Amino acid sequence: MIFDRPTSIELITAVIDFLNTEIKEELPPHLVFKLRIVTNVLQIVQREIDLGECLSKEAEELIKEVIKSTQEPSLVELANSIKESSTELDKESLKNALIEITKSKISVDNPRYSTFKKLVE
Amino acid sequence: MIKMSEGLSVLLSKGLSELGVSGSIENLEPLTGGASKEIWKFNLVNSDVSLKMIFRRGSGTESSLAIQTADEAKIQEEVRKEGGPVPEIVLVSNSGNDLGDSYVMKFIEGETIARKILRDERYKPALPLLAHQCGEAIAKIHNTPLANLQFLPKKSPIQLIEDLYNLYQSYQQPSPVFEYAYRWLKQQNYGDFKDSLVHGDFRLGNILVNEHGLAGIIDWELAHIGNPIQDLGWMCGNSWRFGNYKMVVGGFGEIEDLIDGYNSVSEEKINAELIKTWQVFGTFRWGVICLMQAYAHINGSVNSIEKAAIGRRVSETEIDIVDLLFLGGN
Repeated sequence: MIFDRPTSIELITAVIDFLNTEIKEELPPHLVFKLRIVTNVLQIVQREIDLGECLSKEAEELIKEVIKSTQEPSLVELANSIKESSTELDKESLKNALIEITKSKISVDNPRYSTFKKLVE
Repeated sequence: MIKMSEGLSVLLSKGLSELGVSGSIENLEPLTGGASKEIWKFNLVNSDVSLKMIFRRGSGTESSLAIQTADEAKIQEEVRKEGGPVPEIVLVSNSGNDLGDSYVMKFIEGETIARKILRDERYKPALPLLAHQCGEAIAKIHNTPLANLQFLPKKSPIQLIEDLYNLYQSYQQPSPVFEYAYRWLKQQNYGDFKDSLVHGDFRLGNILVNEHGLAGIIDWELAHIGNPIQDLGWMCGNSWRFGNYKMVVGGFGEIEDLIDGYNSVSEEKINAELIKTWQVFGTFRWGVICLMQAYAHINGSVNSIEKAAIGRRVSETEIDIVDLLFLGGN
């Protein structure tokens, strides 16, 4: 990275802090609710910057376990292999890929989601 | 808004008096409703009697999944005859009339907001009763004779699955979990149930709750005719437990109570396994609805932070499906 600090994650944190302090107290209640959505979205972006590349690489490895011949493992390819029935539904590597990839997605989108919390506890 | 309410007040008064319902319209106020519906409350005052009323009107821009607003009233009249807890209909207007596609119903006191129902002290005594009451009420909906409801769309389980899959595919955002769910759902046994009136969106948010439990069922816009068990699976999905994931029924109740309530009214006896299949369907359905909302933003038809954010809730439904299918989730 050629960029100086603050890092992109630190910049977003600064924005979130600003919104939650100076902006929040100026807002009527219906916009405070919207502001919560805004800060949630910014936190998704932070987690994706932080974890996205690593989780996507892991997902590619899991997809290769299901589709051995693949050159470019992707969600599109995995979806297509299920759709075209080229993969049996009870194949263990398929179930494992679906479980782990989905956990990775939710860990960025909403790590406080009840089912995710239950599964990682 | 004041001008608008004056105009509406005159039309309501005229419409009601044509039906022989006299009285003056007072305190007409808009309530926050769905984006595509107007909801107003008012008092109908007759000498010393004041009755609270609700006016509900469609905008003509409802989702393609929704039925006509006036048809919701016709359904409520039929369910009421079965003893279902629904508001009494006072007036029905079709889209060609001055009041538009709308109806007036008697107001039922009750809370709809899930978080309040689940957390406020006031509703604590109601929560242990609610799953059984919902089971009874859903069975009454399903027992409703269909003779006067032939205008409703009729959908077999396979048609519902195909419609949902086609809608998902139209967004061209491939989800391996949804592809899996689609193939899995097509292989399941849906039982030999008679065609029934299905509410289509029975959950906290669309029911009125007071301290005694279930007070009313509202929001009939997704009603149709089909396999009855889908209503039970829908309300048991984790998407509608509002974080209380251990309470399978709507975040407040046990599935045994829901089933007992249902079986106490219905001829058709049901079990948890049948409900679970529909839970997978319902979770997939909510996932596709999230996708639909997100793509309204992505395609530029609306610019909305809420709709953009909901796109990242699709993965909540994917993890719920994975949990139900592979990890012993309930």
